[in-house]
Parts: sequence; C-alpha cells; structure tokens
Amino acid sequence: MSPRPYVEVTDLKKTFDVSKPWLNRVLEGAPRQYLKAVDGVSFDIRKGETFALVGESGSGKSTVARMVVGLLNPTGGEVTIDGISMTDPGQRAQRAKLRRKMQMIFQDPYASLNPRWRVDRIIAEPIRAFNVVEGEANIVARVGELLTLVGLHPDDGKKFPHEFSGGQRQRVAIARSLASNADFIVCDEPTSALDVSVQAQILNLMRDLQEKFGLTYLFISHNLAVVRHMATRIGVMYLGRLVEVSDAKEMFTHPRHPYTRMLLDAVPDLAMSGRARIPVAGEIPNPITPPTGCTFHPRCPLANERCKAENPLPINGVACHAVVEGRTLAHPVAA
Amino acid sequence: MSEPVISVRNLQVEFVTRRATLRAIDGVSFDIHKGEVLGVVGESGAGKSVTGAAIIGLIEPPGRISGGEILLNGRRIDNLSPEEMRKVRGRKVAMIFQDPLTSLNPLFRVGEQLVETIRTHLPMNERQARDRAVELLTEVGIPAPEKRIDGYPHEFSGGMRQRVVIALALCAEPDFIVADEPTTALDVSVQAQIISLIKKLGRERGMAVMLVTHDMGVIAETADRVAVMYAGRVAEIGPVRDVVQRPMHPYAKGLMGAIPTLEASAERLVQIPGSMPRLSSIPRGCAFNPRCADVFARCHVDQPLPLPVQGRQVACHLYENEQLKTAEVAR
Repeated sequence: MSPRPYVEVTDLKKTFDVSKPWLNRVLEGAPRQYLKAVDGVSFDIRKGETFALVGESGSGKSTVARMVVGLLNPTGGEVTIDGISMTDPGQRAQRAKLRRKMQMIFQDPYASLNPRWRVDRIIAEPIRAFNVVEGEANIVARVGELLTLVGLHPDDGKKFPHEFSGGQRQRVAIARSLASNADFIVCDEPTSALDVSVQAQILNLMRDLQEKFGLTYLFISHNLAVVRHMATRIGVMYLGRLVEVSDAKEMFTHPRHPYTRMLLDAVPDLAMSGRARIPVAGEIPNPITPPTGCTFHPRCPLANERCKAENPLPINGVACHAVVEGRTLAHPVAA
Repeated sequence: MSEPVISVRNLQVEFVTRRATLRAIDGVSFDIHKGEVLGVVGESGAGKSVTGAAIIGLIEPPGRISGGEILLNGRRIDNLSPEEMRKVRGRKVAMIFQDPLTSLNPLFRVGEQLVETIRTHLPMNERQARDRAVELLTEVGIPAPEKRIDGYPHEFSGGMRQRVVIALALCAEPDFIVADEPTTALDVSVQAQIISLIKKLGRERGMAVMLVTHDMGVIAETADRVAVMYAGRVAEIGPVRDVVQRPMHPYAKGLMGAIPTLEASAERLVQIPGSMPRLSSIPRGCAFNPRCADVFARCHVDQPLPLPVQGRQVACHLYENEQLKTAEVAR
C-alpha cells in the first residue's frame, strides 16, 4: 500500500453570501444569494511533488489555496496535512506545530511585502515568530544564508522592498517562505506579474529549491505552459469544480475532459506546428447562477440531455458523462 | 512593393525629467504594409507601448518625439498640430487598449459611444450611425447586437467588452490600428477568440496592424512579422517564423528559451541573468552587453545598428561579417 498522501483535501466547499443588504432584501423582496466558489473539490498531494491547479479566472483555484493553508474557513469538507486536520477544532494544538511547516507565496510581490520594513526584518519575521533560531547573531546569519539561497546578496537585507525589481521581490518572498523551514509551500500565481525572462529565473529557482529541500508545492496558475514546466500532477478547475486530475505528462498528451482539451487548444502555439485545434466558444458563465447538471455543458461540444440534468462525479480523475459513456467528437484534421 | 501604410524612420522619444533627459525610444525604424500584422514584443520597459503611443500622437509632456519621422501613407504625421492630429486619429489611425474597462465610458451605453465616434468621423445622421454601429457589433461577434447596443459596459463580460472596444476602433474604417496588449487582461479561452478576430479583421479590411504584447505565443499566432525590442531599441525584426524559431540576436534567443511551452517540458528554462536596465542607466554601446553571453570589446563601445542578415534585420555586432556579405550580394 502506498504511504498516506501529505495533503488530503476531501469534498472541500466554500460558499460566499453575496446577498444584498438586509434592508434591500426587505424592501425589494430580493432573496438571499449565494456564490458557490468551491463546490466539492477533492484531491491529494504526495510528499515532494508539485500539484498544480489550473483554471480560468473565477474557477475557484485561489479560494482552494486559501482554504488549504487556513486563510479561509471552508463551508464544508476537510483538509488534512501530514495527518493533522486543518478544520477539526480538537486538533488545535497539533495544528500550531503544523503551521510553521506551511507557507504561502503570493502573486503580487509589490503587495505581499511590507513596504516600511527592511528586507532582513521581513525575512526574519517567521524565524522570530516560530523561534526557529535563538539569538540575534544567529538570526542575522540565517537571514544572510536565506538571501544567498534565493540568489540575492546578504547585504540586500538592509534595503527596502521598493529598491528591488519585481523578480527580486519575489525572491525575497520565497526566502521568507523558507525561513521557518517550511516543507509545504502554496504558490498562488507566483510568476503572473513577472516578465518572461524573470519568470524563467523564478521557476528555475523554485525547482532547484524543491530538489534541495524536498519541498511540496501546491502551485496555482492560469498559465498552462508554466504548469507543464512545474507540475508532477495537475487538477483542472471549472466553476468551483475539479473536472480532471491526472499526471502532468498524461494531461498534455491525452487530455480527457472536454474543458481540458479546450484549454489546451486555446494556448497560442509557439512552435507553429499547425497542430489540430478546436476553436474555443463561449465564456465562463455567471457563478451565482451556474448552469444545471454539468456546469460546462453550454460550452461543451459533447453535451447531451444527461449533461444538462445530472452533475457528473469524478471517475478515475475525470468528471464527465461523455468520457464515461465513450461519446467522442471527431478531432479536426490538421490544416 | 507597394508603399507601406505606416513607416517609422529612426524614431526617438525622450522624457524630460528634473534630473536628466531619458531616452525611451532610440532610433526605431520599421514599415507596416496593407493587411500586415507587425508584432512588437519585449519585456516591460522595452518601449513597445511608447512606440505605439508615438505613432498615434498620444505622447504627453514631459515626453516628446525628439527625432525621426512617422509617415502615414507617405505623409508625415509626427509634426501635425494637435488639432490636425485629432482628425487623423480615429479616422485614419486607431488604438485598442489593454483594459477594456477603462477604455469605455461606464456612464454611457455602448451604442451611444459607438454612434458618437462614428458621427465624429463620418457624415452620417443618428439613424445611419446606429445601423452602422449594429453592423460593427455583428462583425466583431457580439450576439444579439440590436439588443446589446443599449447595454452599459458593465453588463458585458471582459471578452465582450474588448470586442466593443475593437468595434469602436473600426468605426471610421482606419488604415492602421495599434493594439496595445489587447488580450493581456483576458483568460486564455477568450484570448484565443480575440486574437483570431483581430487577425480576421486585419486580413478582410486590409488594415495595417501593430500588435504590442509581451506574449510571444500571441505574436506567433497572429503576426506576419515581429520586432523584438530591448531598452528602446529594436534588437531583431523579421518574418515571424524565422524570428520565433531561429532567433539570432542573443537577447531574442534568450527570450525564446525562457518561455515555457506546451510541446516540450525542458528540464530548465534558459535564464538571462540580470534584468532590463533603467532608462537612466542604459549602458554604452549595445544596451544588452551586461547580460549578453557572447559579449566582446566592441559591444561596450559602439551601438549596433539593425542590418540585414538572412532575410531579417539584426542589431548585433556578432553578425557584422555576415551583414557585410549580405550587403555585397545586394549590391
């Protein structure tokens, strides 16, 4: 039997109340409205691997990330990390120990670093908070070590965040996430705000660090090419549901869910290989009033009556009636 | 070959600040022909958007065009008075901006904005202009345009809004369109739709399009030719297939290698050390010399000029000998 996965997410749900204020509801007779941002998502992450969540804006991938690290309380479902539940109130004491083991890297390095703190203080904060290293001299040494690790100079610690470029700031954010000796790092679009040449530097750095420290990543991105470069396994999200989970290689060579295929076909073709592509149709519907049954059915070329009525459950990592029933669409021949 | 629609000759744009005069664009030259899409790529600060703004006459003080010329159908437009330029802008040249939410007025219905633009440039009455607006919305692929024309911008999704912006740019049937990062704010699936729309419209209407983007994939899909910009200069310009698949300039090579692709998962991406210089400290000689792996003595002294090599133009001293050979053959 395989060992227990490091992170287990089971039937995770998050509903946001987006109703109008009470007075408007009374006067206008408007009903309460709920937005199901995440609707029954389950996956697990093995130690040392990179699990990527991809999807378009509004698909709920960042909400999942926030619930996994405990920044948001789930409406339902459970997150277990290293055997400790993030939701069970009885395990509060164990959870406190777990917290130093997990860190987050955010999308915008301009917003995630305190502009009034020097970089050495920013990086030392987790060290002090978790008492990782004792003694001021040791903390200074550790901060210098971390800065060197992410490709900066120990003297850079004396600078303020505004003195750095976007890529360098993201390096600072990475150094901070490593400061508490974390081994599970949730990265929410870590390179979306960066230029390609800088993105390459950061992605390479993240892979080097993973190799060196055996880090486990939950990697959130909308960029499929970046995900292909980073991930061991990939989950594709659409309107709060996980529509497909599979190995990274498998996903790109044999996408199974029609939405995954559509996403892959939408990526501009840099090699200009003239690979066969189905033109993309439609846009993500309003998540407050999602379509019935499978939420993808209005855009799906394979949809039939069953898809409109019945929400497909994931079977072998794919949540699609058409895949299970073997309904297929002839792929257009390469032009 | 026919006369280009837009011809930019040795363009220089400067920004005067208290400390120094910063040169954002330094000697950029290119032509765009009828029906052609020129992609302009580069990282932030490379000067791609400023080039677009200069052509369309939207450089605001303290910025100014300090040298070179811009020709539209053979006529200079860079020295027109603001009044004269206003007549050209919208009528002959138009622009599509990155963020469709800020380029539409949230207080007016989409139809009103279209009708206003059409009537400013074309002699039409209200009725005719409205019919024309519906036609345009149909052309850019907005479903039920007769109904949607009375909607406000906030009632449209991001992709639909960008279609409205494209319709606005097409109002007066311009000869030339600058599209500045038209798909950057959009999701991939919508991006693909907008790209193919821009491509289709350019072909069908015979417009010249300058597509500014940082996304090489978008360029590979859309453009006929591509210009790679670095620190306000053109590093390499040529047919898109050649430049994307066999880049020659060391910066272009690094940039292509840095892009993760769907086809192959390389173990490591190519890394260009360092980052783009600030405008206040562009190095002497070739602007790329501190980051270049093939740098030699001359790169620190002389600024390389774009010269023809293998069917394209490359601004790099490495290819000097080949450039001379090409020039001899041409003679």
